[in-house]
Amino acid sequence: MAYRILIVDDEHELQNMVKEILTQAGYETDAALACAQALERFQAGNPDAVLLDVNLPDGDGFSLFGQLRESRDVPVLFLSARDEDEDRLRGLGLGADDYITKPFLPQELLLRLRSVLRRVYREEPDAARLGDAKIDWGKGIVRRNGVETALTAKEFTLLKKLWEARGNIVTIDALCETLWDGPLVGYENTLMVHIRRLREKIEEDPSHPKYLLTVRGLGYRLVREGMR
Amino acid sequence: MSLRSLLKGAVLVTASAALIAGITIAGILAFVFYHSDGGRSWDVSVSRVSSTLTWDGTDYEFSGEDLLEDGRWAILISEDGQVIWSFRKPADVPEQYSLTDVASFTRWYLRDYPVQCRVRDDGLLVVGSPKGSVWKHDISTASQLLHDAPMWIGGIFLLALGCVLLLAYFVVRRWFRQAQKVRDAARSDWINGVSHDIRTPLSMVMGYAAQMEGAADLPLERRKQAGIIRAQSQAIRDLVNDLNLTMRLDCAMQALRKESLQLEAFLRQIAADFLNGGLGDGFDLEMDLPEEPLPKIQADPFLLRRAVNNLLTNCVRHNAPGCSICLGARAEGKSVVLFVEGGAAAGIPAAADPTRQLESDGGAAHGTGLKLVSQIAAAHGGEARFYGGDVFRCELRLPAAS
Repeated sequence: MAYRILIVDDEHELQNMVKEILTQAGYETDAALACAQALERFQAGNPDAVLLDVNLPDGDGFSLFGQLRESRDVPVLFLSARDEDEDRLRGLGLGADDYITKPFLPQELLLRLRSVLRRVYREEPDAARLGDAKIDWGKGIVRRNGVETALTAKEFTLLKKLWEARGNIVTIDALCETLWDGPLVGYENTLMVHIRRLREKIEEDPSHPKYLLTVRGLGYRLVREGMR
Repeated sequence: MSLRSLLKGAVLVTASAALIAGITIAGILAFVFYHSDGGRSWDVSVSRVSSTLTWDGTDYEFSGEDLLEDGRWAILISEDGQVIWSFRKPADVPEQYSLTDVASFTRWYLRDYPVQCRVRDDGLLVVGSPKGSVWKHDISTASQLLHDAPMWIGGIFLLALGCVLLLAYFVVRRWFRQAQKVRDAARSDWINGVSHDIRTPLSMVMGYAAQMEGAADLPLERRKQAGIIRAQSQAIRDLVNDLNLTMRLDCAMQALRKESLQLEAFLRQIAADFLNGGLGDGFDLEMDLPEEPLPKIQADPFLLRRAVNNLLTNCVRHNAPGCSICLGARAEGKSVVLFVEGGAAAGIPAAADPTRQLESDGGAAHGTGLKLVSQIAAAHGGEARFYGGDVFRCELRLPAAS
């Protein structure tokens, strides 16, 4: 099911561009040019997320945000030309899920929107495939060449974190934070052990990994399909 | 603040102080002169009163009634303390005086009547005024004071002059600050307004260019051109952001939100984001961090990230793909040195590399990006050092958290 996104922006042309970006990415869209219209579309359209500009002709996005949240707890991302710390902190302080400043790249908008939706609606990733290895997130197992191997809790968390950011480098600090809720100090070697064991389960040749790559000095990267 | 402006302000304030002092002194003198019966002062009249009292061999003859106004009186006391002549003498003024009485009233009051005395051949002439009409006081001081007076007066004058000049300095400084504040606010509003207005159209240029760059149905050449438009729009966006922030730091309008940062994790995250964002495509980004943990620093993560990103972007923009960029940090005494080093580009002659022309202060001639790095370092109580030579290198020296 495609998510429905309400775009509230007084710039008609920008609104059209955002609509186009979201539609191409498989989202359904709805749009409003002002606060009153936004409230009406919010009630009628029942969107899954709102992209909200701060400067609107009949009010400001911060107040509208409060009104929207009063009626339904829906993820809201501010999309504003106001880039000062005060505005950003005010928006996030109110409880917005993200604050994106204009100008933005389409890819950046899509990634941040997807990240918010995944977090809010707790999307479970589908069964993932890494070459011959197929990961079943529901059961926490890896199937390769007909052999099923169970993932430990740490390996599962590690793989999920890397899968969610697949294609991107995840730093060793971020991985330790995920696994142990703490900084890297003291955990680096343990992390390497977990990575090695994970490679043994997902890679054909763990000594020459094809999917779970080390980025020297920084962290690890899970290769996105079609990318190396 | 220039010396000339300071001098001008000092002269203005000193002149004002001198004017106030002059008017005050003149006012006090006029007041004293008027209230001391100007010319009709009792100091003067007592001798004149005495001259109008004469002995004709049998009796005293007094012709100075006009000199004594209503309520004033006079008596003549003989050598043995007896009143031998009187004029309008109040009933409560005695007829006989002892030596101690005389010693007391010559200095102070006679039965609360302020009196003046004049020694005559035939006794002491006492001229009295109504009770409560005159305040008498006695002044006595060491003779040394008179000798020291020039030094004291000079000293007090210099002290007063110093105070006035100090006052002038503060007043002028305040004027300047206020004027500067007004100018800064106007500049800030203007840049803020322009950068705000440019963001929405730039969103569309950047957004559509990025879409065209990825459109499979466009010829490769067109997609490349769209990529250039996208990259240049990003450069404009960075410039607008830098301009805004540099102005805010210049005008001390950017509040620092300091946090305790572990540099290793912080730098790794910046490097990962830089690479994940595709900004370092084709470049070899290396980390150079010591084995021992670095001391923590207190810094605004947003600003420091901006400074490091600017340095990385600078290396990428002024070097060709293939070149290696090094991001690292080391502890040095009570400071932490964070550095970015961008190697010479492969196949690009050294002279063509603009970073080689860097001034040691990373001056504005090379854009706002590096100036901003210096400003951010300074705002954290540190400094940025830029090195040209064969390899571009920038070091941010920041104080370690205590």
